[in-house]
Amino acid sequence: MAKKISSDAVHEPINSASPEVRQIIQRVLEIEKDRLDKNERSPINDEILKIIKEAIQ
Amino acid sequence: MKLLALKLCNFRPFYGEHSLTLAKSDERNITVIHGNNGSGKTALLNAFTWALYEKFTAALASPEQLVNRRAIAEAKVDKPVPCWVEVSFEHDGKQYRVKRECRAYRKKDGSVEQAKSELMMQFVGDDGRWTFLPSSQMPEDVITRILPKSLHQYFFFDGERIENITRTDNRSEIAEATKKLLGVEVLDRAIKHLTTARKTLEEELEGIGDAETQSLLAQKRKLEQEAEQLQDRQLEIDQELEHQTTRRQQLRQKQLELTEVEGLQMQLNTLEEQEREIREKIQQSKKTLKRAISNRGYIVFLPKVATEFRSLIREREERGELPADIKQKFVQDLLDRQKCICGTELHEGSTACTSVKSWLERSGLSEVESATYRIEARVNELESQIDDFWQEVDREQASINHNKGTLERIQDDLEDIRDQLRHSPREDIRELQKRLDEVDAAIDRLTTEKGANQEKIANLELQAGRLGKQLKESRSNEKRQKLAVKRIEAAQEAIDRLKLVKENRDEVFRKQLEQQIEELYGQISFKAYLPRLSDRYELSLVEVAGKQDVLVGASTGENQILSLSFIGSVIERVRQWSKAGLVMGPDSSTFPVVMDSPFGNLDEIYRRQVARLVPLLANQLVVMASQTQWRGEVEQEMQPRIGREYVLTFNSPKSDCEEASIKRYGQVYPLVRQSPNEFEYTEILEVERQDG
Repeated sequence: MAKKISSDAVHEPINSASPEVRQIIQRVLEIEKDRLDKNERSPINDEILKIIKEAIQ
Repeated sequence: MKLLALKLCNFRPFYGEHSLTLAKSDERNITVIHGNNGSGKTALLNAFTWALYEKFTAALASPEQLVNRRAIAEAKVDKPVPCWVEVSFEHDGKQYRVKRECRAYRKKDGSVEQAKSELMMQFVGDDGRWTFLPSSQMPEDVITRILPKSLHQYFFFDGERIENITRTDNRSEIAEATKKLLGVEVLDRAIKHLTTARKTLEEELEGIGDAETQSLLAQKRKLEQEAEQLQDRQLEIDQELEHQTTRRQQLRQKQLELTEVEGLQMQLNTLEEQEREIREKIQQSKKTLKRAISNRGYIVFLPKVATEFRSLIREREERGELPADIKQKFVQDLLDRQKCICGTELHEGSTACTSVKSWLERSGLSEVESATYRIEARVNELESQIDDFWQEVDREQASINHNKGTLERIQDDLEDIRDQLRHSPREDIRELQKRLDEVDAAIDRLTTEKGANQEKIANLELQAGRLGKQLKESRSNEKRQKLAVKRIEAAQEAIDRLKLVKENRDEVFRKQLEQQIEELYGQISFKAYLPRLSDRYELSLVEVAGKQDVLVGASTGENQILSLSFIGSVIERVRQWSKAGLVMGPDSSTFPVVMDSPFGNLDEIYRRQVARLVPLLANQLVVMASQTQWRGEVEQEMQPRIGREYVLTFNSPKSDCEEASIKRYGQVYPLVRQSPNEFEYTEILEVERQDG
């Protein structure tokens, strides 16, 4: 079936996630956007691991 | 990006230093630069592209000669001649200055040596002072974040060649550029980095997990590695396919140039186009068929169930349970009134009352009744659709078969022509066809491999997903292990959800962009063509014949309008999406358009429409126009929005040069005049506007 999605529904997969997963997604997107603006290419694995570990305890 | 000013020094025909301030207010956002042919309009367009991207447009002759000839001629031997362009712009409330400079040296033997260009960037820092970019950052990177290099040709372009944007062989380029503008990079990076983090978490789990967990993890990793290798291969295949496709186009171009085979070439082109169309039709039919089967296929299995259903109803009817002739409410009312319709008193516990009460149960059937008859009506309706369903299936099947037959014939004809070329008496033609055959075989092989890999990857991912579930369900009681599994699971869920967001955005953006292009194109063109944007963001013009889209061979003018509509639509959509917070990436909601020689091949009506619409779409417009291009309708439409105006005065050393001038607001400005020395060069004069 063809999918019909409204603009509002674009981010529905984020909004419908559990609070923990939503927190992970939002924080990861934030640092990625920040790095994109500053054009940083250094590894960020530790930062992301920290985000996940903080969200799920 | 809002352009503020352009400064030039010894760049191309511009001797010495010149500067232009650009119109930037919302109401008056047009800067017009008048100039005759050869006076430096294209050089000005290229001043922007060189300074910002070190790129030149196709219309610029000898791009390697950047430094003004007079400046070089006047310079001392081996002394540097400066040549630079500085573009000032504003972005996100911050001012920037970008300066690209290259030095040239006149050698003793009269030759000119030009050094590599250097790019510098300054911006107004938080303290309000101009500051150089820190050495850790490259100016190129900053610019490309604001207005990507790969997209520059959509904002700085030659109006006479604008149709190239939508040419078939540029389709994949335009698709890539569009995706970039929509800022998918943040999502891609997030998905990639979360995947790496998930792997690290799995490694940690392996360190603390029990034997079962370790074994599951090892299996999962193996599957994922296999999938990754295949993904890498897919990328290689894509590159190789692109390379082969370009090669094919080049070979076909050569084939076309060999006039002797021109007749065959025309046939080849027509047949190949037909082949493509027929393939599309077959795909379309298959899609329709799939949709019909998945939405309504089940109804063909209904008759057996329907018969059972009807016999059930009949049984009930025979038992007198249907139709229910008495309503529950009616019986309840009698009981409440304690009096039957025959007048008998209905006292609690009396025989009459018990008898009437028993009707309550039977009367409950009235709901069953209405439900039953509703279902029956639906069943009848569905049954009546069975014929329609089969008819549609037959029709699409017949269409597929018919088209397959046609395809076979076309392919036979194509093969015949290729055979003729293969056996041509001319060696170059034979050789060319041989190479084309090789390329075709390679494309075929790659496409098949790609499809097979796709299936393998999907399968591997499915298996890895199952192992992930098993991990989750493993019965370990160890707290640390449980937590680790939970984290892995959360990371995976975040990845999956981000992938969904990416898909959604793709879908929404493409649909809305297509609509916008259609709307804009419809406003300008009087042809009943419709622009279409494919799943892969490929742009084409179609005509709707019956229910089918048929590709049209549009004229240069139509393609120019399509290209302009595309640019305008991208600008408009990105602006809207940015406002809605849907663009994840650098803020890019303000776009300039710098356009040389606008609307070269358009008729009067089109010129007027385009002249009216472009300034509304772009936030800012810089137009370089000759007097013929700046004709009545263009001037009429643009005049109210002009904020700045300049004239390029070309100084010609020719003694018999034909002088020319332009009159603006009652004042005469020279376009061409006799040079006071032996050099030809261009000066920039600002027009004093008197319309506010």
